Order: sequence, then structure tokens, then C-alpha cells
Amino acid sequence: MKLTRVSLVAIVAAGALALAGCAAGGGSEIQTGTTLTAVENSPFTSANGGTADGNTTYNNNINYMTSSGWNYYDNTPKLVKNTKFGTYTVVSKSPLTIKYTITDGVKWSDGTPVDASDMLLAWAANITKYNDAKGKVNFTSAAAGGGLDLVTAVPKISDSKKSLTLVYSKDFVDWETAFAVGMPAHIVYEEAFPKVTDATKAKDALVKAIQGDDAVALVKLAKVWGSSFNMTSTPTDKKLLVSNGPYVISKLVKDQYITLTANKDYSWGPLPKLSKITVRFIQDPTAQVQALQNGEVSIISGQATADTVAALKGLSGVTTTTTSTSTYEHVDLTFNNGGPFDPATYGGDATKALEVREAFLKTIPRQDIIDKLIKPISDTAKLDDSQTILPGAAGYDESVKANGSADYAKVDIEGAKALLAKAGVTSPSVKFMYGKSNTRRASEFALIQASAKQAGFNVIDAGDDTWGQKLGDGTYDAVLFAWQFTSLAVTGTQTQIQTGGGNNFNGYANKSVDTAFTTLTGEYDASKQQALLAQIDKSLWTDAYGVTIFQFPEVTAFSDKVKNVSDNPLSPSVFWNFFDWTSSTKK
Amino acid sequence: MLTFLSRRLLASLLVLLAASYVVYILSANAGDPLDDLRTTTAKNKEELIQQRIALLHLDVPAPLRYFIWLGGVLKVFIGQFDLGKSRSGQNVTDMLASAVGVTVQLLITATLLAIIFGILIGITTALRQYSGYDYTVTTLSFLFFSLPSFFVAVILKQYVGIGFNNFLQAPGFPWWVILLAALIAGAVWQGILGGNARRRLITAAIAGGATAVVMTYVSLTVWFSNPSLGIAMLAVLGVGVAFLVTTLTSGLANRKSLYTGLTVVAIGLAVYYPFNLISDYLTIWSVIGLAVLTVAVGLLVGYLWGGTDRGVSARTGALTAFLVGFLIVVDRLMRSWNNYATSDIINGRPIGTVGSGTPNLSDVTTNFWIESVDSFTHLLLPTMSLVLISLAAYSRYSRASLLDVLNQDYIRTARAKGLNERTVIMRHAFRNALIPITTIVAFDFGGLVGGAIITEIIFAWSGMGKLFNDALRLVDVNPLMGFFLVTGSVAVLFNLLADLSYTALDPRIRVTV
Repeated sequence: MKLTRVSLVAIVAAGALALAGCAAGGGSEIQTGTTLTAVENSPFTSANGGTADGNTTYNNNINYMTSSGWNYYDNTPKLVKNTKFGTYTVVSKSPLTIKYTITDGVKWSDGTPVDASDMLLAWAANITKYNDAKGKVNFTSAAAGGGLDLVTAVPKISDSKKSLTLVYSKDFVDWETAFAVGMPAHIVYEEAFPKVTDATKAKDALVKAIQGDDAVALVKLAKVWGSSFNMTSTPTDKKLLVSNGPYVISKLVKDQYITLTANKDYSWGPLPKLSKITVRFIQDPTAQVQALQNGEVSIISGQATADTVAALKGLSGVTTTTTSTSTYEHVDLTFNNGGPFDPATYGGDATKALEVREAFLKTIPRQDIIDKLIKPISDTAKLDDSQTILPGAAGYDESVKANGSADYAKVDIEGAKALLAKAGVTSPSVKFMYGKSNTRRASEFALIQASAKQAGFNVIDAGDDTWGQKLGDGTYDAVLFAWQFTSLAVTGTQTQIQTGGGNNFNGYANKSVDTAFTTLTGEYDASKQQALLAQIDKSLWTDAYGVTIFQFPEVTAFSDKVKNVSDNPLSPSVFWNFFDWTSSTKK
Repeated sequence: MLTFLSRRLLASLLVLLAASYVVYILSANAGDPLDDLRTTTAKNKEELIQQRIALLHLDVPAPLRYFIWLGGVLKVFIGQFDLGKSRSGQNVTDMLASAVGVTVQLLITATLLAIIFGILIGITTALRQYSGYDYTVTTLSFLFFSLPSFFVAVILKQYVGIGFNNFLQAPGFPWWVILLAALIAGAVWQGILGGNARRRLITAAIAGGATAVVMTYVSLTVWFSNPSLGIAMLAVLGVGVAFLVTTLTSGLANRKSLYTGLTVVAIGLAVYYPFNLISDYLTIWSVIGLAVLTVAVGLLVGYLWGGTDRGVSARTGALTAFLVGFLIVVDRLMRSWNNYATSDIINGRPIGTVGSGTPNLSDVTTNFWIESVDSFTHLLLPTMSLVLISLAAYSRYSRASLLDVLNQDYIRTARAKGLNERTVIMRHAFRNALIPITTIVAFDFGGLVGGAIITEIIFAWSGMGKLFNDALRLVDVNPLMGFFLVTGSVAVLFNLLADLSYTALDPRIRVTV
């Protein structure tokens, strides 16, 4: 009797408690949709990748999928226009005048049309005038100080409010990738002035503020543009997720994953095939491989190491490809530090210095480095033979044929010895800097040191982990590091090569090269641009500026359940054709 | 006491302040925060560098920049606690809040399990000192202790994660696996229970036989695809629990205690079906509520059985009730397993190797049991790797500590006056053996907020360890200082707690001013 009483009490009490905590809409039925899961190394932190702190590959890959642009790079790489979104035409070349027009019907995901006010904001946010670290208006744009600074007058908006005309005050050859429609103007204004809730009024007010150079309003707008779109989990204010691309952010879980859902209105560009794309944040490469093997993710992509490639090759049901990216390893020689490659060392005898430089470059085992260090990762790896054009891009093959890089394709110890003898220099010392803790660079250095020794060079190990800080300080004679092409901009290498350029760390100075660059800045014809780049390339090899060695290999692996995945040497790498991706898995 | 506390706290504060200065200077000089910008090919390199300098106040030398940071910390007194911003523009206070949460979630189970199993192993090895079991367990725990965590993690993922998921595609054991498992089980159990050769042989035969039967049953019924305990199994396990708990708390001779345990098991079985009926509507809070209720029922039953030893019976009842309730919950989770594992979002591969949960699971279900299974499948591997590695320390400490106590005179006295072995060990030896372990446990809980760098990174959990690693790698001083502030304060606090708990547990020790 006692027992029954107790258990009865227990049941009633349990029932009461359980009902009190009843979950709304409970039930164990799992429903389905379609999706695919990709991976990034680091979490998403900002829906505005145009800010200095939000400008990371990881943000920009996601934002690439949630926004529309005038053009994008395919994996050739070549710039492809998306005329369904909008068009741009060169109205005049002198002064350079471009008219950008948004196609009718293109709208933000909240239904507001995309128009000239958005473009005007994109201009204002990215010019140095409104990016003054010490002044009041600071949008903190990552693009400030770039080409848009040349558009000095407030751009004109057409009567239809669909077009904006940029007038560049100087020649600017890379205009085609310099301007994008970034953030939604009406959202930025409404966030800055919460009392305004009407999109049209917000747009008009924003246009007025920029045209009138209204500092008070601009300070608020800049603050919103620069920091309000930073997010690490789904924001409560859904306005911040408004975008104009094939996908919109539907869920962001801090440090775990982001999910994009297809924008049902989207019709202005390549149409995506998947209803959802999830990108998980996994830093460790081995963890990525195992997650792929376990079916938790379908696509992984990243800098390749021999270990990850070997692990991936061993998996069944997984396709592995390697791509040569736009980051390229190279050796630069210092021209102005009183070292063995500086004419000043030989009393201003430029020929002597040139011969020593040529001799040293002839000993660099470029092919050997590729065979030993890169081939195990990517068996299709080839020498990068141009200082100015990315392999695969238009003009590369023509330039390589004539630039003289062939002289440095193979190690030529005898040739080097002969050159040294001709210059009358015996066993010169070369202080060689590289990133010491980077095992690949340490191996490259070892190969170079051993090879150069045979020709009589005494290569001194100046490996240093703070090599980035020491660039250009003259403490080294040769340096091994990598540059990255972030686009196919024809003036991409200008700051490295031109006399006094911001990235010209080795003191290279050549008047004809400088002239060629000046001409290039005003040359809008593609074939003439390539000819000029080839000319510069040739001068660099002739002057024994240094050598390019290889492009960093990137590995992409994907499950057999997904199709149409390929990598792109340029950012956004594997994400470039997300609209083609299909998946047979329903999730 | 109060003077002691205030003196200790004041001294700790000063230590923290001085240490923060040193750490700030060291971390600010640990590398170049502009490293990535120096080799950028961006046209506006100069502007980018200026923006970064403005964001992180890099134009102020580090010894002075510290005071900008300290100023933000001191603003706590005007309610505007500010630890600055990270390089990606996030507030450090937000980053810390989330990282501490993740770390505690990841490490609390692992630490608790490591303590429980470590002490269990320590006690059993101490009681069977220098036996085959002692040597085997010692060797194994040291083996795991000496393995690097990244290695353990990768191996676990490969075999326990991916391997088990593959196994689930056709969940059956071939005959030789069953045979091997039976042999191992026999060997292990005879080692633990010991005795003469005949007794060992019988133990081995029973253990091996039972293992073979269970595995064959599991294999034939494809149990792993759709696991559950069922009411019959629950009854067997429940009675086992009742006997075990009674043995440990009061000894089987105390009949009222035993009856209490058995009654509680009967109640548990009686509510089994009703519980499963309502289970779909439960949330985490109602389950916790039910757990409290269960313990209360256990206490009540013990009290009602009464007798002279109400307290002991009530304790038996409460413990048994909790364990039986736990078994019922495990059974309920198992019943969700098939539903979970075969869903489209899991696709037959339930054990996760990365992250804290399946992405977008909440879009398809908010069922408490499914979500719990999901947490379990994602916590399993990191928890295992952490437990395996930290087991050794606890087991060695408790083994040494118990052996120490067992050799004391008062244990001999206890035995001499005729107390049974259970009372000697549970009441006189075990309690005293726990005193030194308490200190270690307190320190470990303090160290817990520091995170587990490698485990976190390999399993893609963004806790304190990863925050520290990222900050150090990018020379991002603000998050680094935030990390230091939290871990430093917690270390100081737990140090104090360890001292206080020591005085509470050991009457011979007094806090002196």
C-alpha cells in the first residue's frame, strides 16, 4: 500500500512538472531541405568586408556569395562581366569617365531597389577624404587611398537614379575592379538615424548628406558603415543582413558555422542550385580532412602541405585537386646596401654588379626546389617565369618567351663561375634572409646555399622570424619571400618595381621601367598593356632583379556527392563558382 | 578569518597588477602586429597601416600603452568595463564571455569524469597493490599520459569517430572479434577480483562468457542501429545498482537500507512508461526538475522505511533513485538514437569529429532528446581525449594517498576493533585519502578556464585556449590581456578556495593571520 501511494504521488508530481516545462511545438520529426557544407579556416566576423578590420578572406568569401557585382574572376583567371546586374561603359578616356547603371528590378533582399544612392555611398566610404584616422569622418575602409581617390568631385546621379558617373581626375588603368556596390545605403542611413524607417527617404537623405558634405551626418554614417556590420552570431537586428546576392545570411553561430539561404528574388546573375550553403569554421587542416572523410563537410580547400595531400589521396569517395595560387615565391637581390649586388661596392661599376647578380641567380636551383618541395604536393607544379604576369593570365606565355628567364631555368655553376671570374670577384658573401621558422623556406635556403657554394658564393644564413619588419632595411643582400596578386590589375606590381615604390624593398631603379609604368597607367588597350608588362618583365630579368620560383599550391578536396567544384588561383578561390555547385545529399 | 581573507585578496590583487604589466610588455613585444600588412601588395598599404595603428594605439610605446588598457579595466568602477577591441574589431569582453562558456562546456564533463574515474582507478589499484591489474592499469594510464593530445585526438577521430560510423553501416561483430573481446574481458576481471587460481578461472569464465553473450545478442539484433535498454534490462541493472549502493553506503546487513533501494527501483520501473509517454514534451529545465524530484522521492522512501537508521536509508534511497533515474534517461536517449542517426541531416554518421553540434539541427527539430544526443555525439571524442590524458594524474595521486592512509595506525586500530573492511575503507581510509586530492581538484578547476589549446583547435571548439593561441599568433594584445585577466583571477581565487577547503576538511589545520 505504501509503495503504491508513493509511486502515485511520484507520477502525478512528475507529470505536473513535466507539463509545466512543456516545450512549445515539441516532437521528434526531422524535416529536410537541401544543402552543402564547405569549410573556412577562420570565423566570419563582418558582413562588411570593406572595412579595415573586416577585410579578411574569410569574410570576403562569404560576402561574395551574398552580394552581386559588376564582374568576377573565373578560374582561367579572366574577368567575367555580369551584365544582368548592371553595366558600365567608358564615356570618355580623357578624363576617364565611367557610367555605371544598375539593371531595373535588381533589389536588396528587403525589396528596396538597388540604385545610385548605394553606389554613391560606396564611393564616399572608400575615399581618403572620409577615411581620416585623425579626423572626424572615418569610415575605416580597407580601400581608402586606392584608385577611387582619383574621383575627386562628387559623382553625378542620373535622373532615373539608376546610374552613377565616376570622373577620374587622372588616368587610372585598373578602374574596372576598383568600384563595387557595397552596403545598402538605406540600411546604413536607417541604422544611423533610427527615426527614419522609409527606404526612399533614407536614400534621399543619405545622398543629400554626401552631396552636401554634411560632416555631422557623415560621422554617424561612417560609424555604422565601419562597425555595425561586425557580427559573430546572428544579429537580432535583421536589417543588418540585407544583401543583394544569390544568398542571404540566415544563421551565424559564433565560431561554429554560417548558413546562407537562397535569395528567392534573385535573378540578376548566375542562378545558384542549392537552397542552402553552410560554411563551417575549422582551423586545423587534419581536422578538416577528417571532417570530410566523416561526411560532416563536403568541400575543403586551403594551403596545401605534403601531409594533407597524402591524407586526402588515401580517401575514397573524395576528389582531390591542387591549384597554383596567385601567391608566388621569389628571391630578390638588394641593389643599394653596399653588398655584393650593389654597384657602389665596385666603385659604381654597374656591369660588375650585374655580373655578380647574374652569377648568383644562375646558381639558384629553381627546378630542384620545385621537384623536392612542391611536386610532392602538386605534381603539376611548374616554374613561375614572370615577374609581372600571373601564370595562366593573358600575356604570360608571350612574355616568358622573350623575357630571358630561360637563362635561369637550370642551375649553371660553370656559367656562374665564369661570370664571377669576369667580374674579378672571388667568393663573395651573400647575407640571405628568409622566414626562419618556416620549414619550407628553411629547406629552400639550404638548397640555394649548397648550390651557390659550388660556384664560390659564401651564403650567410640571415634567417629571421621578423623578416617582414626588416624588409628594405639593407641588412640583407638577398631575400626569399612571397608576393600575392590579389587581382589581375595590370599595375599590381608597380609599387614593388618602380623607383621609390612603397614595396620596392631592394632599391631597384630603372628609368625605362619607370617610364613603361607611367605609360601603362594611361593605357587602356589590353594587348598594349600586355606588351608593356612584357617589356618591364624583360628588363627585370635582364637586370638580374631576382628570380620568381613557384606559385603556392592550394589543395581542394570534395566529396563525390557534390559536383562542379573547382579552384581559382585568385580570391575567392574555391568559392568563385558557388552558383554552379550541386549536391546529391539532402540535408 | 576575515583578516586572513582580506590580506590574501589584497596581496593577490597587487600580484595580478604587477603580473599584468609584465605580461603586457612581453606580449606587446612578442611579434609584429603589422606583419601581414608589410608584404601586402595593396596600393593603399600606408593607409591600411595607419588604420591598424589607430585601432590598436600602436603609436604609443608599450610601457605607456599598458595604461590605456588599465584605464579601460579601471572603468569597471564607473560601470563601463572595457578591455579594448581585438584586431577584427570585436569587443574583448564579448569574446571572453563566449570563450569561457565554450571552455567550461567542453572541459567540465571531461574534468569531472577524469576525477571520478581517476579516483576509482586509484582506489582499486591501491586495494590490489602490485597485482596484475595494478600493473596493467598503471602502464596504460602512463601510456595515455605520455601521448601528445593532438595524436590521441586524431587517432580517436579515426577509429572511434569515423571507424564507428563506418561500423554502423553494418553493425555486427565477426566471431573473432567476439572471441577476442571475451578473452580480454576475462583477463581484466580476474585481474581486478583476484583470488586463487581456481577463483580467477571461474571469474574469467563468467566475465568472458557474459561478454560473448552480450556481444552476440547485440550483433544479432543489430542493437547499435536502434539501441535501448528496455524495462527488463532496466530491472536487472536497477537491482544491481540497489545492491551496489547499499553495499557501499551501509552494507547489505542493513536490510531496511536494501529494501529502500529495491523499493526505489520498483518505483523507477513503474514510472518508466509514463515517463516515456511525456518525454517528448520535456525541456532541459523540466528534466532537471524531474531529477530533483527523483532524489526527493528516494529520500522519502528511505525515510518511510524508517527504523533507527533513517538517515542512512534515505541516503541509499536518494543515491539509488538518482542512478536509476539516470539509467531511464539513458534509455530514453538511446530511443532517440535511431531517429537521430538516420535523419537526413545526420545521414547515418552520428559521431561528429568537429564542432559543438550539427549545424542547423535546430531548424529541423527542437526536441530535447535529439539535441542531447547531438551534444553527446559531439562531446564524446574531445571528452575522451581529455579524460584519457588527465586520468593518470588523478589515479596516481589517489592511489598513493590511499596507500599512505592505509598504513596509518588508526586504520590498524579500526581493523583491530573488528570493523568490517567496508567501513574501514569507505569511512576511515577513503575520506582521509581525499584531503590531498581536494587541493589538486581545486587547482584543476581553476586551471580549467585556461582551456585546452590543442584539443580545442583540433575539435574546432573556440574556447579560451584557442582565443589565447590566436591572440598570441597575431600579437593581438587586448584579447591576450583579457585571457590573462580571467585566468589569473581564477587561479588566485581557486588557490584561496583550496586553502579554505583544506582547513574545512582537516581539523588539524587552522588559518592563521
